[in-house]
This record gives sequence, C-alpha cells and structure tokens, in this order.
Amino acid sequence: MFLTELFRTATFRITLMALAAMAGVMLMQFGLVYAQMEAVESRRSTELLEGEASLLAQMSPEHLEYVIRRRATGDLRLIISSAGLFDAGHALIAGDLHTWPRGLVADAKPQNIEIYPEEGAPYPLRLLAVTLPDRTILVLGRSFHLLAEQKLMLRHTMLVAAMPTFLFALFLGIALSHRALSRVKDMHEAIDRIMAGDIHERLPAARERDDVERLAGSVNRMLDRLERLMDGMREVGNDIAHDLRTPLSRVRARLERAGAAGLDADALNATIGRAVDDLDQCLGIITALLRIAELENSRRKAGFGHVVLSDLIADVFDLYEPIAETEGKRLLAQPGPPGLQVWGDRHLLIELLANLVDNAIKFTPEGGSITLGMRERAGEAVLMVTDNGVGIAPDERQAVLSRFYRSDKSRHVSGSGLGLSLVCAIAHLHEADVSIESGPDGTGTCFYITFPVQQ
Amino acid sequence: MMTEDAAVRPQEDRTVLLVEDDSTIAEEIVADLTARGFHVRHEANGKAGLDRALTGEADVMIVDRLLPGMDGLSVIESMRQQGVRTPVLVLSALSAVDDRVTGLKAGGDDYLTKPFAIEELVARIEALLRRPDDTRATRLRAGALEMDLIERRVWRDGREIELLPREFRLLEYLMRRPGQVLTRSMLLEDVWQYRFIPRTNLVDVHIGKLRRKVDAPSEEPLIQSIRGTGFLLRVPD
Repeated sequence: MFLTELFRTATFRITLMALAAMAGVMLMQFGLVYAQMEAVESRRSTELLEGEASLLAQMSPEHLEYVIRRRATGDLRLIISSAGLFDAGHALIAGDLHTWPRGLVADAKPQNIEIYPEEGAPYPLRLLAVTLPDRTILVLGRSFHLLAEQKLMLRHTMLVAAMPTFLFALFLGIALSHRALSRVKDMHEAIDRIMAGDIHERLPAARERDDVERLAGSVNRMLDRLERLMDGMREVGNDIAHDLRTPLSRVRARLERAGAAGLDADALNATIGRAVDDLDQCLGIITALLRIAELENSRRKAGFGHVVLSDLIADVFDLYEPIAETEGKRLLAQPGPPGLQVWGDRHLLIELLANLVDNAIKFTPEGGSITLGMRERAGEAVLMVTDNGVGIAPDERQAVLSRFYRSDKSRHVSGSGLGLSLVCAIAHLHEADVSIESGPDGTGTCFYITFPVQQ
Repeated sequence: MMTEDAAVRPQEDRTVLLVEDDSTIAEEIVADLTARGFHVRHEANGKAGLDRALTGEADVMIVDRLLPGMDGLSVIESMRQQGVRTPVLVLSALSAVDDRVTGLKAGGDDYLTKPFAIEELVARIEALLRRPDDTRATRLRAGALEMDLIERRVWRDGREIELLPREFRLLEYLMRRPGQVLTRSMLLEDVWQYRFIPRTNLVDVHIGKLRRKVDAPSEEPLIQSIRGTGFLLRVPD
C-alpha cells in the first residue's frame, strides 16, 4: 500500500523518467562504441591482410610454399590467421585452409566467408585471395576472434557499470519520493485541520527554499488574507447586529409600554408612529447593505451615458443647499471646466455625490462650509467635496471607506455608517478611485473621486 | 381642470387588480385597500393576472415582478401589446441599478421596491388613478394659487410669490396634483429624479422653505404635512 503510494508521487515518476533517459543515453553510447570498434577492427584486418599478401606475393614460389607450410604447422599466429596456397583449379597446395572457401573470388579484396572445417562448428573468416604470377592463388584469412573478445568485454563493462547506477538512481528516487510524500502528508494534515475549522493553522513552509515550500508559503499568505477578510466580515456582521439591535430594542420597549399602559388613542398612535420610524431605520440599514452588495456584484452598465459634471454638481447643490442652510452651514459650488464629462450612470453618480455631501454636512460644525468642486488633471476628471469640519486622521482614512466604520469622534452622530461604503461601491462600478486628504489649509477633509481617462 | 374627472368618481368604484404570488403580502394589501374603499381583485399567477387584465375591468394594476408561470414584465408587455392601457405599478424585491428602467420600459407606469409602507403604495395608486394628462396647459390653478408656466411666476390671491427655480419646480408638481397625498420618495423621484434617500428630512426642508413663502403667517396653510407619509396641497372642495 505504502509502495504504490510512493510510486504515485511526482518525484518518483520524475526519477523513473530520468532513469529511462539515462539508460537510453547509455545504450546509445555503447552502440556507438560498438560500431566504432567494429569499423576499426575491420579496417585494421583489411590493412593487415593486404600488407601480408603483398609481402608474400614478392617471394619466389618455392619460398612462398615453404613459408605457408611452416605457418600452417608451427606459427603461433595460427589462432587468429589462416593461410593457403591453391592452384588454379582451387586445389590446396599448402596451408591450413583444407578446402577452397565457398564463394571466394580471387580479386584481392577482403571478403567475410563462413568456413566449414572437417570437424567442429563453422566459423567466419575475413579472407583475401590474390592470384600470383604462376597462376597459383594465395589465400590469407583472419578470424573475428579478437573482435568477439572485445565485444564481450564491452558488454560486461556495460553491465558492471550500468547496474549499480540504475540501482542507485532507483534508491534515490524512492528516498526522495518518500521525503516528498511525508511533506505532502504534513500539508494534507494541515489542510484537513484548516478545513475542520482551525483557520489559524498554516502549512509547513520552513524558509521557503524550494518550490514546494514556496507554494506552501503562497498558500499561507492566501490564508492570512482570507483570515483577515473573514475577521472583517465577522466584524461587519457584529456591527450590523449592533446597529439593528438598538432601534429594534426601542421598538420592543415602545410596543410593550403601549400594550401595558392604558394609553388614549392619540398617545397610542404617536407611539406606533415612533415604532414605525425605528423600524424604517432598520429597513434603511438593510436596504443600504443590499444595495451595496448589489452594486459590488454588478457588471451591468445599462444606465451608463455621458454625464456632465457641472450638471451633476448643480443638481446635488440644489438638493442639499436648503438643508445645509437650515443647519447653519454653507454649501458652495465652485465652477470648474465647463462641459467636463465622465462615462457613468447619472442617478448613481448623484447618489455618490449626495452621500459625500450628506456626510460632509453631518461632520461639519455649525458655521462651517462644504465646497463642491471639480477639475481636470492629465485627462482625468476629478470630483471634490471639501469641508472644514473635524477632519479625518491619516491612519483612519482608509478605514472610513469600509463598512460601518465610524471614527470615535463621530460616534454620537446618527446614521447607518454605510454612506461612504455606498460611495466606494458606486465609484468602483465606474472604475473611479476614492481618496481622502486634508482640506487646503490642513484642516477638514477633502474627498476626491478620480474618474479614469475617457477614450 | 385635470383632476375633476377623478374627483367626481367616488372611490368605491375603483377596481384594483393585484397580481402577487406572496400570499402574506397580498392579504395585507387586499385588506388595506379594501378598508380604504377600493375593490380589489387578486390573482396569484401571471397567466390568470393577464387574463383578468385583458377584461379591462381594472382601473389600476399592481403587478409583482417575479411571478410563477409568467413573469410580471411579460404580463405587462403582452397586455400593452393588446392595447390595454390600464396604469400599472410594478412591485419588486429587486432594486438593481437598471431594474427600474427595464420595469418602466416594459410598460409599467411606476415602480416600487419592497419593503414599502402601505401609505406609499396607496399614494402611488392614487397618483396613477389621477394622472395629470393635460401637460400642455400654460397656466395652472389650484385653489388660491395661480401659476404661469411660461413667465415662471406664481400668485396667491393676487399676491405674487418670489420663488427660486427649485421651489417653483416643487410647487408646480404640487399644483398639478392638488388634494393628492405625495410621499417623500415620490417627490424625490419626480422633482429631483433622485431615487435613494440618505436623509429622511431632506424633502421636509425643501417643503418647509416653500411653505414659508406660500403660506404667509396670517394665511390659511395650503401645504399640509401628513405624518409618516408625506405632503398634500389643499384645495377647497
């Protein structure tokens, strides 16, 4: 069971592949050496045969016959070479070749021919036949014995060299696979623990020295991010619960009191009216949340068109100027480049700007002012809402754009706390960027909505 | 006068056709509208709703967007194709960015997102029943108020009232719908084309400003607030 698992690891498969490649290369090398050896041996034997033949051919016939005879009886070269002197009718005059080799032609070219001795197995010889001036034929032969020996030796060498290499590679593969398997097993166990709900668990990544550890490191970083997101979501959930609980408990208390006390019709109606207002506040929060979710998931831009920013500012100014005035604050609209346009949904952009203005009015003390403005910078259209209110600390600027965040300074101000999230969601749909900076004189807050360059 | 036709018909004659599959919501609406003197016909699916709509007996229709059998928008579309011009209020649990647009494009006359206050629904049905159709008039009259749409001037019993353009727009809207309850969201949607309420007192401030100019301290107030619902321009009976 363990072995099959081992053989299924990627490391083991790679080892096997490397092994197969190695064996292939080795076989090829041996093949080359083999072929080379054969060619060299063949060339050498040809040279020897030709050299010897020309040497012998210069001798007188009597002397030649003597030499051949002597070679056939007493010469040690007998083991690897043969010689024979035949007459024109292929009858043996002298030598150790007893019969004319079948198929031999006296053309002074080396030929490989099978020799059938009187006793024993047939064997191949490399033969050369030369016709001498006295019409006798000199036949010289050379056995392949030497080549066969060399080949045998080479085969042995190959086995001796290859076997340990292969065994070592196999062993290495098993060892490495085993190591990989145990690491993967650790990771599997860690993942199982994470899936079981232990979100703080991490994969063993050590110092991220190799690919697997780097992968584990990446997974860990992903888990970190997910954990932060989950924490954020949990926080948002808690915030929603809190923000809903307050008005709901008020509704409950009111209705309870209305039911217990013997109220007259007017008082009862007033109580019910206030309860409905509280419920409306709850519904407002839920509606805003749903709307943000919807905007965040929306890819639909059916309502998009060219929106002139100065019209947008004029509309929102018109809507909010009275309320700012009523609360003792000044709402101003600064003129900007006329005809500056963005690509967007007019209603959503009004909602975005209105939320920013609403927010600015809320956080500006009495006597303060809120300015609506726009400008063009490097092809980008920018909407600006500036107030000279309490301002937002630099480290809080990112946080205020997230859901339900309210800085401690503003805890007493009522509201769903979702206005800026809505602003972000709408800006995101328009591929616009939201940023917060201090007002021009270092006090207050300025929100910038930067729209992408229009094509 | 544009409202006279509607005013002479007693409310008992009005028939509302409600096409809604959620039985709880339907029951609430039926009970409330019946208590206010409407005749209510209720159908729980699109097919039956369409058949009923084609009889032409309804004066106004309330159609839910998501219905079993036949989608609410398809009901309105086929009804309009067959020449039935009954005003339709589309109800929806969706408030997607361009959902309202598709609802109105299909032939709906108004669009209301759930959850809603029943007063909101009633005010919108009333508005649909008494839709001002004479938009070519250049002078409007409502009780003591008179408005010249070309010269952009307004008088109350001969006394001219100075209004800012936005106040003029608001008063024009009120004068075109005298004696009719107008909710805050109706005003925001129709006067400012604004569809989301970040602050509940936004409209009240605008109305307050207008009221201070229209109703002098000694005069009888013409612009009335209706608690929990909205506003109304009073006209003598």
